[in-house]
Amino acid sequence: MNRRALIALLRMSAIVVFGLVVAPQAVPAEGSPPAAYNPYPPGILPADLQSEIDRVSREVKFIFQQALAEWRALPPPNLTGQPPTLQGSGYDMVQTLGKLMNYDENISVFKNQACASCHMPYAGFSGPIPSVNLTMVAFPGSFHFRAGKRTAQRYTYSPWFPVLQFNETQALFFGGNFWDSRATGYLLQNPDAEQAQHPPVDTQEMGAPDTACIVFRLSQAEYRPLFEQVWGEGALDIKFPPNTEKICSTPGGAAVFGTDTTPVKLSPGDRLLANRAFDNWGQSVDAFEKSKEVSPFTSKFDAVLAGKATLTADETAGYNLFRGKANCNSCHVDGRGTTLNRGQTDNSVTATTNPLFTCFGSANEGLPLNPRNAFYYQTKPDFFGFTPNPFGFGYRDLGLGTFLRSGFGSAPNPNAEWIPFAPTSDGQFQVSTARNVAMAPTQCPTTEAPGPYFQKGFFHNGYIKSLKQLVHFYNTRDEPNFAFPVTSGHCPRGTVERVTCWPMPEVRNNIDMTTGKLGLTDREENQIVAFLQTLTDGFTKPYPNRDTFTGMCMSGGTAATQGNESIIPTPPLPPCVSAICGVAPFPTMPIP
Amino acid sequence: MNGLLQTLAITTTVGSLLSFQPAAAQVLPPAKKAERVEISRGPELESATNHLTIIRWTTNNPGGSDVHYGIVHYGTDPKDLSQTAKNPIRLNQGHASTTFRVRIYDLKPRTTYYYTVTSEESNGTSDGVKSTVRTFTTPAPGEIIVGARP
Repeated sequence: MNRRALIALLRMSAIVVFGLVVAPQAVPAEGSPPAAYNPYPPGILPADLQSEIDRVSREVKFIFQQALAEWRALPPPNLTGQPPTLQGSGYDMVQTLGKLMNYDENISVFKNQACASCHMPYAGFSGPIPSVNLTMVAFPGSFHFRAGKRTAQRYTYSPWFPVLQFNETQALFFGGNFWDSRATGYLLQNPDAEQAQHPPVDTQEMGAPDTACIVFRLSQAEYRPLFEQVWGEGALDIKFPPNTEKICSTPGGAAVFGTDTTPVKLSPGDRLLANRAFDNWGQSVDAFEKSKEVSPFTSKFDAVLAGKATLTADETAGYNLFRGKANCNSCHVDGRGTTLNRGQTDNSVTATTNPLFTCFGSANEGLPLNPRNAFYYQTKPDFFGFTPNPFGFGYRDLGLGTFLRSGFGSAPNPNAEWIPFAPTSDGQFQVSTARNVAMAPTQCPTTEAPGPYFQKGFFHNGYIKSLKQLVHFYNTRDEPNFAFPVTSGHCPRGTVERVTCWPMPEVRNNIDMTTGKLGLTDREENQIVAFLQTLTDGFTKPYPNRDTFTGMCMSGGTAATQGNESIIPTPPLPPCVSAICGVAPFPTMPIP
Repeated sequence: MNGLLQTLAITTTVGSLLSFQPAAAQVLPPAKKAERVEISRGPELESATNHLTIIRWTTNNPGGSDVHYGIVHYGTDPKDLSQTAKNPIRLNQGHASTTFRVRIYDLKPRTTYYYTVTSEESNGTSDGVKSTVRTFTTPAPGEIIVGARP
């Protein structure tokens, strides 16, 4: 669909959808959400935040309608065989169900936020609001403007990460989902499915106070029949108490709940059903994320592997640097053979059918603390008596290390044997697949200035604003003339942050030294960026819904200094609070 | 309108887009361990400022676990290298050589340090290589030493 048609369609659908779909369900039975939570100093929230949230909401509703139509077009289910199987249409059914769930705003506490609200296809299913990616990094939740602490990680190829394991042979962690791997997959044996279970009950995201609330909303969903066809008749036949809507319209963390994580009081049998249905929620979303609509292996690189396309000279040079001088493929494994010397020919074959450009591991790349991160400012109680971050700038993001300690802001670690590995995991974050790192909307198809470009935020804290900067960081982080013992916003006069000045790492423990001083020229950096852009799906066939972005492209400037106008001075940092850095087993060296 | 949306959706997505992908990729096995690991370059000072000193050296690819640790034992007395700094690096199974780099923080300025380096797998198994004792001298306040290049 071209953009003009899409806009016209959206205009019409905005009216119709509002009238037919949204209005009857948009206001919780117990009333509208209270006034927005806004503990932020001026300038932290982007000026266009509300209008951008509204814009994404329209796009989400559009794709939700698309999914409804796909559901209605499915053939009648044919459950047959032993064990019973939905013959012929089972894959389509569970994936369509997952798609409906992914774009369903009614799942959130105030029925205003879907999973997709922070993960839209045109951004490789990462953050869809350029101004948020540029500034506050974490996306606002259903209760505006609570916000999380990290960038919205891409869905694409996340289902391929294995269950988090400590590999005894390698003495290393592999797998899991999320930046800190806290979605282990230990119970469903599927980290991606367990990942999908976190945001709906995350206090700063979709905000439900009880997993049963998600099931309650599913039981009211228009697509409930599809859920029951896929997961069984009676799967949602749960006797919810009369106060369920009231409870499920109150965000998690509210003082009224105390420490109760199951405020919806169900009989044991109904709780069992609700737990099972919540597992089915995760499994359905995972099915969608694994489908060709999200993870299709349709990049130019895939076409090259199939012998159906040829890399340009710059892309080829970038690829050779990627697996050679720049050593990117030590972690972003490309499944190919050895690095070639001059005069040699690459006759190697792929080690796996579809190289995923990740090693499934974690690393601390030494990113500076990003003072733009909205999390640091949420130090006051909101309307519901919840304070997202009582530690303010005393918070440090230790990533995997904090998860292994079951620490603040992460999730319970389900394996006590892993706790001793926390000190050697501090500061580590998941090595994301490099696939779709460059994905951007059709009408502004690059992440790089001068564009027209779509502003993204890279790494877990969004400190990096372009792929050029990303490669430059790996290349020069440890250059003695660039590495300064300062925080962001305080680079010495005569230097340019992210160009000739890198502030000190937020966590200096366990810094990965595979990169940091690569000796790449400016041109070589650009060639690696060119290669990364060949990993974007949609080359061999259009990437579904990449054209649904209705916002504004950005333009001008250079990729090297992209976003530098948004840098703010980091305030004087208090020491890392004991609730994070004082939890045993302690970090290998003090974290300032 | 819903009919229009339905038609649009059917023509653009159903069938052609919805099917699963090939089986999930696996964690690759570690590389075969080298019979003997030898230092081919260094160890040497990569750089030194008042807050950060980096030591680097290169060996043949030691193989074994994907993550290795470079380790520097150092001190101001060559007979007492009791301080330790270590950093992880990730081996590239396709590369013939491996460069280790280790960060040392907060050294005294204008001071000569003695050091020796070694490396190990992530489970602590030594690569069986240890350098001779070397020295470097930290810069004066405000100065920067640019040492070995990649």
